[in-house]
Amino acid sequence: MRIDVYIPLVLSLLLTTVAPQVGLRVAPALATRVLTVAAVLTAAATTWALILLAATLINEAPPVAAEAREDGRRLYEPVPEIIALAAVLALGLIAHRIYRALRTEHATRRTLHRLCEGHPEDTELIVAASPVPQAFAIPATSSAPGRILVTAAMLGALQPAERRVLLAHERAHLTHRHALYAYAVALASAANPLLNPLRSTVTYLVERWADEQAAEAVGDRSITALALAKAALVAQRPRPACALSFSDRAVTRRIAALQSTPPPYLWSIAAPVLALGVLPALGAVDATRDLLDLLEHVLV
Amino acid sequence: MTGTSPHGRADRRSAGELESEVLAALWATEQALTPAEIQAEIGGGLAYNTVHTILRRLYDKGLVLRDVAGRRGTYRPAKNAAELTAEAMHQALDRGPDPIAALQQFVTGLSPEEERALRDLLGGSGP
Repeated sequence: MRIDVYIPLVLSLLLTTVAPQVGLRVAPALATRVLTVAAVLTAAATTWALILLAATLINEAPPVAAEAREDGRRLYEPVPEIIALAAVLALGLIAHRIYRALRTEHATRRTLHRLCEGHPEDTELIVAASPVPQAFAIPATSSAPGRILVTAAMLGALQPAERRVLLAHERAHLTHRHALYAYAVALASAANPLLNPLRSTVTYLVERWADEQAAEAVGDRSITALALAKAALVAQRPRPACALSFSDRAVTRRIAALQSTPPPYLWSIAAPVLALGVLPALGAVDATRDLLDLLEHVLV
Repeated sequence: MTGTSPHGRADRRSAGELESEVLAALWATEQALTPAEIQAEIGGGLAYNTVHTILRRLYDKGLVLRDVAGRRGTYRPAKNAAELTAEAMHQALDRGPDPIAALQQFVTGLSPEEERALRDLLGGSGP
């Protein structure tokens, strides 16, 4: 149990380290999938490991301790008490972070729902008569289909072929349910802050995935790259009271990727990444068995 | 009903997708457009009849207006819902970056050197 329980923590660091390289070499559709699965498994395993560590405190529980004293048994302590207490603290923090992530998601959903008001249910495109160049996909919910929101300013800035790129890009977000991947890694990194960098990798990768789909739909990688460049430049200009200039070089990197050949579906890289996600889960299972043995030892 | 283009692309677009394209084309310009003008704008070998059918569907949904600005047979986007949406969007943007920043936006911010690089890429043909 001693080692098993720490394995997930080490492996999540490893996963975060390799993620950007995977994103560069593997087709974004495959890279997004394996990284998301690995992130979710790792986050579940680290959380479970913390629960196990916290559970060792049961040794200290008065009834258990009293009974042990009566029997004259010496209790076996798998981890120092201080670590178990730290685990309890960490679990509280995780619960709070997950609550915050869920609340953000809920707020976003509500906002998006408001944006769709007044538009007929069966149209894909929602135009906002706004001078702010903006475009994004509104994911489907249980009650409404997915939509594409584009502002009049953004449509006016693009040529017909470029508008098709934009629509195809946002459509790809909807058909491939990119919002779910984003949500899954958001929750995973809420549960395990070590996975935070992986979240931005996946956010970038779903954009790349949609770019590749758009390039395929219009049948021209260079027009796709040009559309991105143009949209980025118009969106750049008037930024009224908008502090979100998280310049992570994403657009230029996406354009550069479109100017070279699409990365292959490299399972030779993807499979080890999946393994990185499965290992912490196995570690967690093993640690659970150890704890159950311990409990048997303590309680019987 | 859909024609084929030299690239054979038009027939791959679904009715819903074409509807989006026609609506986007109408919003992209200040003027009211005739079906023929829209056909030319969209390209891809789209048949005139198809454009006409899509326009009628958009009209039935109340998304476009007909015969505006004294030009018969022209179409223009209806603004009501679009203005409400813009208002809601601006409110969301003002309230803070959270709700919309969390979405998959088409593009995000650029640094000055990135901006220069992109302008070079567009070779002066850009905006």
